[in-house]
Amino acid sequence: MAGAPLRGRRIVVACGLVLAFVLVIVRLVNLQVMQAAALTVKADRQHQKNVTLEGARGTIYDRNSKVLAMNMDVPSVFGVPASLGNPVAAARNLSPILHVKATELEKKLKQERHFVWLARKLDPEQGRRLERLGLEGVGVVMEGRRFYPKGPLLSHVLGFAGMDDRGLEGVELRYDQYLRGEKRAVVLQRDALGRAVFPKGLNEEGAAAGHSLTLTIDEVIQYIAEKELDEAVSRANAKSGTLIAMDPKTGAVLAMAVSPRFDPNTVGALAPDRWRNRALTDTYEPGSTMKSVIAAAALEEKVMTPGSMIYGENGQLAIANTVIHDHERAGWMTFAQMIQKSSNIGAAKVGMALGEWRVYDYLKEFGFGDKTGIDLPGEIAGLLRGPRQWGKRSLASISMGQEVGVTPLQMVTAVSAIANGGVLMKPYVVSEIRNAKGQLVAQTMPQAKRRVISADTARTLTTLLEGVVTGGTGGKAAIPGFRVAGKTGTAQKVDPRTGKYSSTLLVGSFLGYVPAEDPRLAMIVVIDEPRGEGWGGVVAAPVFRRVGEQVLNYLGVAVDEPVKLAMATVES
Amino acid sequence: MKAVAFAAVTSLVLLFVWERVDIVRLGYHIERLKAQKVLLERERDELQVKLSGLTAPERIARLASDKLGMMQPEKGQVVVVNIEPEAPANPIAAEGEVRIARNMVPRRVR
Repeated sequence: MAGAPLRGRRIVVACGLVLAFVLVIVRLVNLQVMQAAALTVKADRQHQKNVTLEGARGTIYDRNSKVLAMNMDVPSVFGVPASLGNPVAAARNLSPILHVKATELEKKLKQERHFVWLARKLDPEQGRRLERLGLEGVGVVMEGRRFYPKGPLLSHVLGFAGMDDRGLEGVELRYDQYLRGEKRAVVLQRDALGRAVFPKGLNEEGAAAGHSLTLTIDEVIQYIAEKELDEAVSRANAKSGTLIAMDPKTGAVLAMAVSPRFDPNTVGALAPDRWRNRALTDTYEPGSTMKSVIAAAALEEKVMTPGSMIYGENGQLAIANTVIHDHERAGWMTFAQMIQKSSNIGAAKVGMALGEWRVYDYLKEFGFGDKTGIDLPGEIAGLLRGPRQWGKRSLASISMGQEVGVTPLQMVTAVSAIANGGVLMKPYVVSEIRNAKGQLVAQTMPQAKRRVISADTARTLTTLLEGVVTGGTGGKAAIPGFRVAGKTGTAQKVDPRTGKYSSTLLVGSFLGYVPAEDPRLAMIVVIDEPRGEGWGGVVAAPVFRRVGEQVLNYLGVAVDEPVKLAMATVES
Repeated sequence: MKAVAFAAVTSLVLLFVWERVDIVRLGYHIERLKAQKVLLERERDELQVKLSGLTAPERIARLASDKLGMMQPEKGQVVVVNIEPEAPANPIAAEGEVRIARNMVPRRVR
């Protein structure tokens, strides 16, 4: 009889349990099936965090792997005005560290905002001082900043990157797509305290840094070039100067200097005019340096030989109601002497002997009127009009380097063709691109554009250009122990006020290569608007000598002609 | 038999729980190491920038002239010559090129 109530209770308990289980299962189905999608999203939002990682911008090295530009994480400081107890005291404490006026900081910290930037991309040391200060309501986040550790060195070629890590000038702009770090969205798991645990996939890597670039530039050669150019510009009290040194056999640029220089670390306050790379963005009338190209055409076309006689008209030649003058009154002279003494009348006559179309064709062949194709932004093609647009004096003018606009880069590329035996090379500044793991992505090989003159013509012309240095206008470019081939140039500039050639606004230049027999270095030096004596042989040729001597010594190039050693004497 | 089964099930449950806990612990450890790596990389980059600035040719040249009194060799003081391989004057300098530097000794003032 006692079994009946016991069984009843068991049934009640069992029913209760079943009901409870049913309720649990219903709830489970409701959560796991009916609301599954919505709840999954909600849960993910609570314990997952989407972060966009951006890899550091790639490093730029010189040809010997010396760092020229690199990224570094630096502190940026922000304030949370709502969490600050005393904004006045905070501003006073922050001011000496951030180098910002306390009143300015105070104004920012009193704003009714949740977040305010106080200073961005500071030096690491400033970040450490802030940490020691430990102010509540002031935080630090790390951001990538571009550093140019060598200061102004190579600034016009390197260019610079902006606050957002985008290249704005120079190599930084041209190779921005390679230098830029990878952007990657990563999902982090968060614990109850909001700390990151680990990405969903344990093997997931951070965003890769950008590619690194290796330049053809040598920082030591660049330094020598900049130092000597700066000194020359300052000595001549000139407006500006440009110097390009190139390996004539490959077209690799070894140095490209523009004076005055600028520091890419502090570019903000400078006018764009200061960071323009004049070596390829500005044209000038080359003057007598162009005679080397006209001479190449005349020799190649067999219009002239080194011994051909030219009458110098005693220093005056009337053409198209104008008169061409020579600074030295000459009678009969050989073609070689014409080059050596840089006779305008001789060059005009050689041009006339060649004829308009042949002069134009050779200038085109040597690359004038076209971009060289160098891997730098902003290059211009210069000015070379076709013969149909020429006036009556144009042939004579162009033969002596007037009525034609060239860039220093075009000139040094052209003389490199003479130096290397007649082949026009494409100039370049980046030799290698490597990814963040150091694997080679791209490599620039020397690129020959075309043969412009024969090797025989180049050899003959080299002998003539050596004469310019040994007994002509380029004597100050002579380097002891080396045979130097080159040509001086002094061009009058057009005075913007009168629209006519000025007798005081000049461009002095020297274009040459060394050692003449087996050239390792082709170089152009252009000094714009020197005060006082503005002859190329006076203001530019000595720069060629000083740079050439130091660079050949640095490269360990052996002498190619006997040297007289100065013996030391000691008097007792 | 039952006891063995119970022990096996309990072990499996404990193994599962231990595994989960260990994954979380390792996760935190990995994050700590990653943060340490970032700090070390930052320090490396800072040192790299410093090194690059300190070895700038401009600075070296300035120190050489200002602190050590060094100067650029005068015209013709450094001559690089090719040594003929068949007649090496100095066995150490037999390979390729050798530099000869001659000092211009200043005249002694009496």
